[in-house]
Amino acid sequence: MTAPPRGTLTLESNDGRKIVVDRDVAERSVLIKHMMEDIGEQAEDQAIPIPNVNEAVLNKVLEWCAHHKADPQTTNDDDSDSRKKTTDIEEWDQKFMQVDQEMLFEIILASNYLDIKALLDVGCKTVANMIKGKSPEEIRKTFNIQNDFTPEEEDQIRRENEWAEE
Amino acid sequence: MVRSQRNVVEATETASASSSSSSPERAAYDDDTDFFTAQRNDSESSIGVSSLRDLTMSPTQEREHRVSPISRLPPELLIGVFTKLNSSADLRSCMLVSKTWSRNSVDLLWHRPLCNTWHNLQSVTRSIQTTDGYYSYNALVKRLNLSNLNDQISDGTVNPFQMCKRIERLTLTGCVKLTDGGVCSLIYGSRSLLALDITGLDAITDHTLKAVSENCGRLQGLNITDCSKVTDDSLVAVAEHCHLLKRLKLNNCSLVTDDSIMAVAQHCPHMLEIDLHNCRQVTNISITNLIARGRQLRELRAGHCHLLTDSAFLDLPKNLAFESLRILDLTACHQLHDEAVEKIIETSPRLRNLVLAKCKEITDRSVMAITKLGKNLHYIHLGHCAQITDNAVIQLVKLCNRIRYIDLACCQRLTDQSVKQLATLPKLRRIGLVKCQLITDRSILALAKAANPEQRQKSMIASLLERVHLSYCINLTLGGIHALLNQCPKLTHLSLTGVQAFYLREDLIAYCREAPPEFTEHQRHVFCVFSGEGVNKLRDFLNNNTELAYETEGTMYDDREADDMDTDQQQLPGLMHATGLNDDDDDMDEVDGADGSQYELEGDN
Repeated sequence: MTAPPRGTLTLESNDGRKIVVDRDVAERSVLIKHMMEDIGEQAEDQAIPIPNVNEAVLNKVLEWCAHHKADPQTTNDDDSDSRKKTTDIEEWDQKFMQVDQEMLFEIILASNYLDIKALLDVGCKTVANMIKGKSPEEIRKTFNIQNDFTPEEEDQIRRENEWAEE
Repeated sequence: MVRSQRNVVEATETASASSSSSSPERAAYDDDTDFFTAQRNDSESSIGVSSLRDLTMSPTQEREHRVSPISRLPPELLIGVFTKLNSSADLRSCMLVSKTWSRNSVDLLWHRPLCNTWHNLQSVTRSIQTTDGYYSYNALVKRLNLSNLNDQISDGTVNPFQMCKRIERLTLTGCVKLTDGGVCSLIYGSRSLLALDITGLDAITDHTLKAVSENCGRLQGLNITDCSKVTDDSLVAVAEHCHLLKRLKLNNCSLVTDDSIMAVAQHCPHMLEIDLHNCRQVTNISITNLIARGRQLRELRAGHCHLLTDSAFLDLPKNLAFESLRILDLTACHQLHDEAVEKIIETSPRLRNLVLAKCKEITDRSVMAITKLGKNLHYIHLGHCAQITDNAVIQLVKLCNRIRYIDLACCQRLTDQSVKQLATLPKLRRIGLVKCQLITDRSILALAKAANPEQRQKSMIASLLERVHLSYCINLTLGGIHALLNQCPKLTHLSLTGVQAFYLREDLIAYCREAPPEFTEHQRHVFCVFSGEGVNKLRDFLNNNTELAYETEGTMYDDREADDMDTDQQQLPGLMHATGLNDDDDDMDEVDGADGSQYELEGDN
């Protein structure tokens, strides 16, 4: 394998594909960032295995990282918008998240594994927006979920949580 | 990242990841607007980095994952999604979707049961008391806020909640019918309690606080504002047993003396915020010790502690800086002099908010000392410090250019010179100039031009001014204010009470808000405060009716011609009389909390 250009890393997806990526893009992932700090410079020369993520998902995640590589790293700054209650998602991210459910949940899993908090956040918000305002039955339909409650159980939960109705 | 795993919920059959005890999204903006939740952000949670996904899957699991991709999310990520839902109704829907969804959403839903109406409260208490519920709801409640129902709450109402022994935040603000019996029933055995707010429960005695000291060893926040029967007896015990206390509010607890405060200073090394507003027995030794020992102390409020003298600060240990102190409120500590202020600045170089309103002895020398805070200073209140002159204000602005809030009410020596300089503050959001009677339209035009043409040109940032208090600035006319309205799109509050050019104009008064009910007829007559939509309507009216509004046109953007407007003015003796009627609360019609949250005190005057 020829050494990748300086300032880049090679990631290896779980289906054995190698992806060369700018180091600062890859380091949106705290996992990779810490790995690089642990291994040191020679890490640039060898492929980093990403055992939980396949090529398609990894490419997608890296696309997000590239777009957001200049974002300030999230901090616990009191004034930051991160405390906003809304599930507002910026336009580019909304488009980015217009994928089938399979991909959507793979992105969430990958961002969690790779520790990319902002992407995980966007993913969770996207799913939350798919839930909002829907009835239980509509939610089941949306996500293809089997109702495993008996009618009695469902009724009981409904009753015991009546206060939460709006 | 910290994954909070401390809640073990017996009710959930499987070991799904429990919800964190306080999720920031919900913490910051939910309706728990009590003292503690409004400010705290120290308990953190996150959905966390999950462990590696289970790589070995059964064929059934595989099929399920293919059919319903969301089933791939492990519990902690499903909870991460649910955390983004803000409405209880959505969470309740999730609880009804499937068993997996149910047990992963029930913690979040019951984390803070909504007791905002009597009907909801009854529903919640029914479920808590039920012995054969689908879940053991009482173990899930982490926050209870009954302040919405305030005087409908009695000791009997809170009784069922004594089953909830895992409450972390208990907010009973304004539930004035509660007595020791009711509150104690909630306190006994509540080992998890972190924050207790019993503001306004004036029947509460040492009995309750003794119970707190005996049961709530993890307590971090205590607000007993207006609990005027509480004495040192129980507060010393609280200080001795609740070492983790960080926030303490004792406003108007008139029986509290130095004994309590000294105990706090001695036993509670983590103290971040303490408010002793109007604890009128507190003396210098308390303040000196709180600052000297509380190395993390961030906020100290001692307004109206009228016994305080310069020694409170002059006696601080030499050559020691208190880097943590950000907020200091010494309103109406009228025995303080410049020496004390100089020492304060010397020892607390990182002060961000400084309130010296009604410290009438202080002079320009204090202001010169304050300038040393430089860019750290964001908020300064010098209302009623009437000795202050233009010189000092000009220096202050030059050296502290990050000021966002400044109040100079009743600093009657100040002229347009000061305001022109104030107008150059690039981040200025609120300015209080009530009863600065020397200022004219020239000041207002300077504010309207906002001062910062460079920045404006660069980034097209319009003025950031939001609240402008100009009551009893009797020389002001329409021209200046019209320009101000047009140049300050963010303006939400404009007070012009007692300004003849406004309160006499029926057409303008139409957009003014109602005078507070307790006002006298005369006060109503001169009342003139525009807020919210009223500001926009006033702006629109002036823009659409220019010829009606002015005798002379087209002068409002020109500084030179402002001189002409001054000549229209005359002062009525009756007006001056009016200002004397309500001397006490004319300087500030809002109280700004540490975090920028405001408690509006209605009525500019």
